[in-house]
Amino acid sequence: MSANKTYWSGLDELDRTSEFERISGQEFPAERPIDEFLSDERLEKVSTGRRDFLKFMGFSLTAATLAACETPVVKSIPYVNKPETITPGVANYYASTLYNGSDYASVLVKTREGRPIFIKPNIAAPLGQVNARVNADVLGLYDSARLQGPTMGGAASTWADLDAAALEALKAEGRKVVLTNTVLSPSLKRAINTYCTAHEAEHIQYDAVSYRAIREVASADFGRNEFPSFDFSAAEAVVTLGADFMGTWAESLRYASDWASSRRPESGRMAKLFAFESTLSLTGSNADHRSMVAPADTGRVAAALLAELTNGSTVSGLSDMTQAAVSSAAEALKKAGPKGLVVSGSNDIHVQRLVGAINRALGAEGTTMLWTGNQMFAGDHAALAALTADMKAGNVASLLVHGCNPAYNAPDADAFVAGLSKVGFSVSTALFADETASRCSAVAPTHHWLESWGDLQRTAGSIELMQPTIAPLFSSREAGESMLAWAGEASAWNKYIQGTTATSSWNNALYGGFMDIAAVASVASVVMPTDLADALKAVNAVKGGKLQASFYQKVAAGDGQSAANPMLQETPDPISKVTWDNYVTLSRVDMEAMGLNLHLAEKDWASVVKVQVNGQSVELPAFAQPGQAPGTLGIALGYGRGASGEAIGRAAFQVTGDGEHLTDDNGNLVPIGANVFGLVADQQGLPQYTALDVTVEATGAEYALACTQMHHTFMGRDSIVKETTFGDYLPEKSAPRGEASWNKSMGLGVHADVNGDGEINALDKKTLDNFDMWHEHAVDEVGHRWGMAIDLTSCTGCSACVTACHIENNVSVVGKDEVLRHRDMHWMRIDRFYASDWSQERGAEEGVGVIGSYALMEEPSANPETVHMPMMCQHCNHAPCETVCPVAATTHSNEGMNQMAYNRCIGTRYCANNCPFKVRRFNWFNYSGNDKFQHSNPAQDAMTRLVLNPDVVVRTRGVMEKCSLCVQRTQEGKLVAKKASAPIVDGAVQTACAEACPTHAITFGDLNDSKSKVRATYDNNRAYHALEEVGIQPNVAYLTKVRNNDKA
Amino acid sequence: MQQEAAIREPLILGNKTYKDITDDVVGPIVGPAPRGWKILITISSLVALYGIGCILYLIGTGIGVWGLNKTVGWAWDITNFVWWVGIGHAGTLISAVLLLFRQKWRMAINRSAEAMTIFAVIMAAVFPGIHMGRIWVGYWVFPLPNQFGSLWVNFNSPLLWDVFAISTYFSVSLVFWYIGLIPDFATIRDRMTKPLARKIYGILSFGWSGRAKQWSRFEEVSLVLAGIATPLVFSVHSIVSMDFATAVIPGWHTTIFPPYFVSGAVFSGFAMVQTLLLVMRKAMKLEDYIHVRHVEYMNIVIIVTGSIVGVAYLTELFISWYSGVEYESYAFINRFSGPYALSYWTMMTCNVISPQLFWFKKIRRSLVATFALSIVVNIGMWFERYVIIVTSLHRDYNPSSWGEFNATSMDVGVFIGTLGIFLTLFLLFTRFFPVLALNELKSILKSSGDSQKALQNKESK
Repeated sequence: MSANKTYWSGLDELDRTSEFERISGQEFPAERPIDEFLSDERLEKVSTGRRDFLKFMGFSLTAATLAACETPVVKSIPYVNKPETITPGVANYYASTLYNGSDYASVLVKTREGRPIFIKPNIAAPLGQVNARVNADVLGLYDSARLQGPTMGGAASTWADLDAAALEALKAEGRKVVLTNTVLSPSLKRAINTYCTAHEAEHIQYDAVSYRAIREVASADFGRNEFPSFDFSAAEAVVTLGADFMGTWAESLRYASDWASSRRPESGRMAKLFAFESTLSLTGSNADHRSMVAPADTGRVAAALLAELTNGSTVSGLSDMTQAAVSSAAEALKKAGPKGLVVSGSNDIHVQRLVGAINRALGAEGTTMLWTGNQMFAGDHAALAALTADMKAGNVASLLVHGCNPAYNAPDADAFVAGLSKVGFSVSTALFADETASRCSAVAPTHHWLESWGDLQRTAGSIELMQPTIAPLFSSREAGESMLAWAGEASAWNKYIQGTTATSSWNNALYGGFMDIAAVASVASVVMPTDLADALKAVNAVKGGKLQASFYQKVAAGDGQSAANPMLQETPDPISKVTWDNYVTLSRVDMEAMGLNLHLAEKDWASVVKVQVNGQSVELPAFAQPGQAPGTLGIALGYGRGASGEAIGRAAFQVTGDGEHLTDDNGNLVPIGANVFGLVADQQGLPQYTALDVTVEATGAEYALACTQMHHTFMGRDSIVKETTFGDYLPEKSAPRGEASWNKSMGLGVHADVNGDGEINALDKKTLDNFDMWHEHAVDEVGHRWGMAIDLTSCTGCSACVTACHIENNVSVVGKDEVLRHRDMHWMRIDRFYASDWSQERGAEEGVGVIGSYALMEEPSANPETVHMPMMCQHCNHAPCETVCPVAATTHSNEGMNQMAYNRCIGTRYCANNCPFKVRRFNWFNYSGNDKFQHSNPAQDAMTRLVLNPDVVVRTRGVMEKCSLCVQRTQEGKLVAKKASAPIVDGAVQTACAEACPTHAITFGDLNDSKSKVRATYDNNRAYHALEEVGIQPNVAYLTKVRNNDKA
Repeated sequence: MQQEAAIREPLILGNKTYKDITDDVVGPIVGPAPRGWKILITISSLVALYGIGCILYLIGTGIGVWGLNKTVGWAWDITNFVWWVGIGHAGTLISAVLLLFRQKWRMAINRSAEAMTIFAVIMAAVFPGIHMGRIWVGYWVFPLPNQFGSLWVNFNSPLLWDVFAISTYFSVSLVFWYIGLIPDFATIRDRMTKPLARKIYGILSFGWSGRAKQWSRFEEVSLVLAGIATPLVFSVHSIVSMDFATAVIPGWHTTIFPPYFVSGAVFSGFAMVQTLLLVMRKAMKLEDYIHVRHVEYMNIVIIVTGSIVGVAYLTELFISWYSGVEYESYAFINRFSGPYALSYWTMMTCNVISPQLFWFKKIRRSLVATFALSIVVNIGMWFERYVIIVTSLHRDYNPSSWGEFNATSMDVGVFIGTLGIFLTLFLLFTRFFPVLALNELKSILKSSGDSQKALQNKESK
């Protein structure tokens, strides 16, 4: 029964309809044979033809390719044999020494993966300070214009050929000369001697900027064949007669640091500085009393000072004002006695004799004026002049030029150039085919100092060492080695150095960067008693014309050897704030009389004037310099490099608005500024950096000067700049912070009886920290809180911090045109404020309205007091920038830093607008790729790019950037401490600016570390926050500037 | 039906019939493009192309092609943004607020005013976009879930509020405008003979058939949208003003800004409506629909808002003195006596003095004077934003950073370009869209038409 059971799926199956039969047959369709499918004729008619097929394929392939597109991965390749000392990502430091003829600095060179990228002071060494010129010099190493190897006749050559040619040429008869700057290296001296002995040559030295008069006085009146070592740290009263000793004069690097150490108000000691000068210098801007004196009167001021100090005869010809200033200076000097010091920038032997006599009268010898066997500035311009004459006469058979550039900076460079062509064989060891080298028969390029071994001896007691921080980039050879080779005594330079000075601990010395040696006590030779009658007669006889000129050096440009360093070019002059240019500083009254443009801006260009000196003339733009003595002008030396288009580096030449090099009618590159070394009169071997009778006339032309600061006064806003005098400071020296009269913290009136007098009135005020609209972020006592304190009393405005920051943080150099558009990128800038004669109070007294007073307050005084105020991101705890960013690209770290996430930034610039300090910088262009910056931005040069700090990203176009408090360094410091399982030691982490500051004005550290130096400075009663009343609570504090200029 | 007093000037002149209205509005769309229109659109689209070129150059090269600098981070870009947003205020105000207040005169102008609003807001939206240093990551201003980790937008930032304010305003205005267009598109569809055009207008009109139910829903939706749009009229510019008001910069940090900006916006918006409509009515022969009565009403709005703006200016000056804050006080002294004093006095003359001329009935009712003054007002309002932005920034707290702003050809080019794009869009609108709300107009023909008034006058006699 059950076997017969049938199941069906539907009635169709039961009935077995034809429809069912058809469908059931197809339930599992048999596979269609491929042949059948392919032979189907209908297939031929399908519209997808071969072409379409290829199209589809192509499309799919493209789509797949596009989808696979990604930023190419750049692989870092590990070392095959890792050098023992190099760990990728970890920096090595090497002690070395820089000497370039004017600056002398013991430094530590930071190298990353074998590349030197940063120069900082070697504080363990005797001369451990840097300035802007020193720390920016790391760029010079990577300059792609450096000579790649020896050249002969302008064409590339080989060392063997050059040596053969030199040895052949040196056989010729005639005078043979080695011309150098002041040589301080004992080994180089030895090599030069060897060379001179081998070829009966003579050695002539000259300095780009001569200090010969001081050395002649030292020798004639003090019996010392050396340059006096001035010790400003021991000084209590200093008078400078036109010597910019904090900026560029002589051993300024050391002086600035010493000077600041003599002015710490907290110690109760503050040296006093009187300046007599015509052009406002960095030193003048830091002087307590500054008088404007024409160059011709410098000698008379010295004579008057001497007269006051020695009760000598009075000097006529000084204005009453100057005479009064001299009297008060003399009084201060008298009070200081042996702790007084007078220095003069004059190269006039008579002036320097008077200055020497004053210092002797003060008894400064042994306290502020030391004899340490200092061998700086031994140059002899008279010998150079004689050599030039001999060369012109065709008497010189061979000339070896090392470390100097006479075709550029000799007083009579034209004669030198003319003579050079008559020299049988001339060879230069310059790194570049510069003005001199390009005219020599051959160039045997020496190493850059960062590639060199070397020893340097400035004073008798120690020898500073140089060591290579990178293998030579090009086929260069140490100058000393070349000389030895040509003397037939070839030797490896590093062995040679070790042979010069015997030491048992060479490695230790190298590690420290210096070695102490037994100083040979310098003994003064007997000198005749000083008779100053001649000198007095001479200085009284000096007559100045209606207009007198002084030729000075600018802080960043120096003597011009780093003209191709874009970072130095873009570092604003600390006084004028002009970048990338040379100009004539004139007083406002003189410029008004000549009808020249006083106000400079993007569209307001400077008037070009023609300055004529002794029949020579230069055309330069005129700049109205407050503090310039009327009837005087100043022009900086060190410009006009590469006037014949010499390949000294791309940044040394002017560029057009779109970044191409500017060319003159003949297609030559146009140098920046004009060379005024030619206007320097050589007075019997003493080049005079003044001209007593010059004429100036307007040419009618205009020229753009790019200033980073366009407004010069602080408009009475004393919550930005606070200053007081030493006399006012002392009585309140121990006042609690916020209560001293010169640094009162601000209060806001509230509707509560705060002072408890039973009344609610305007006297009821609460300090600003009581007002807060934000939730409190715990920053105090929680982890680190990085902060900074800047002492306005110590800051001289020297700008070492500006370049240090620039290099450490890969800050873009943007060129003159962009600076002109007010778009410099400096993270760290130094605001320079002049005092104005006018104030709202004075306006009220004299009946000038508020509006009129504001207009008058824009004008600086004729001889203004100056404030230098380093300004960078203040890392506000309540940062206005942070709240306004729509994408939260700028935020607060829990260590108190305001930080920028570059790759989150979309570039609305709202943060920069809302920054009360205007410290945020926007990447207006792709600085590392846009052609406009091809000649100025280091990142655009395949070689110079190597200087970039690998720890800091190069910012892309369209993002905001600003001071990070060197966050890469604090992070590194934390890692190091973590590995050592120890807290961070105070001072172990330093920002680039704090590290570079020669006067220690900047202190950085952890504010939460109660024992840290920065905490102590922060709590000092001089400390204040700029723009405190905005309620932004910065992590950077300033210390009230104290001037020592109390009236009597 | 609503009755209007007989002595009131009729809103529709010329004894129009319903058919006349349809003919007058649809005629230009159906007919061939007039020569003047062709010339105008050629010029304006060339200007637009130039502007687009400038924008592309800007995006390709960097914000540096503008004249901005480290002190003045915004200038023409945000000035133009605020100016365009301001102009975009009239349309919604006319169609939403006046609808709620049952102002019938709005019917002649609301369509084109709203079109102007939409286009002006589009132009406004260009600037926050292109002023970014990296526009290609501009979408980060939207609170989008992302793979970047926990990155989110910053809700504290007024710029973010702007994003919401502008996008809301734009979308509501667009919807409101489009809803109003539906019955009119249907009318055009019915008139069209060309099949393609007919098809397009058919799609645009969403199958409108004019049934009573549809009209009823239409009215309801209009009312609801008007209700939504009204607060937006006030919120958008209030929020835009907070870009400045919440900042710490003296001259920006002012609580008066929201109402001051809103009235300024209405002020400039009405001026722009006047500028455009006075030309349009002539060119498109709409003199019977838009005439002295409309112009006069709008001029009254201009006097009122202009006076509010004037009072706001004076209040700012007073407060800057009264506050006793030296930065605040200097910011305003600098405005009227500093390097940008010319801009300030241009603004004062154009915005405070010139609209007061409308107190004179003759001037108020003069089309030529109105046209001239409307342009003056728009210039003045541009300078207002320029003064607020540039003079406040160029000399703020720290005198060391004080500087100046100089416009470059790219600043000008982009601005002129947006004028070109705006005009092109508006010209396209006049050619292809019903420039008057014709179906709405028909609703007042019987209450405020010429013939009706004549009838009423006859009765009253």
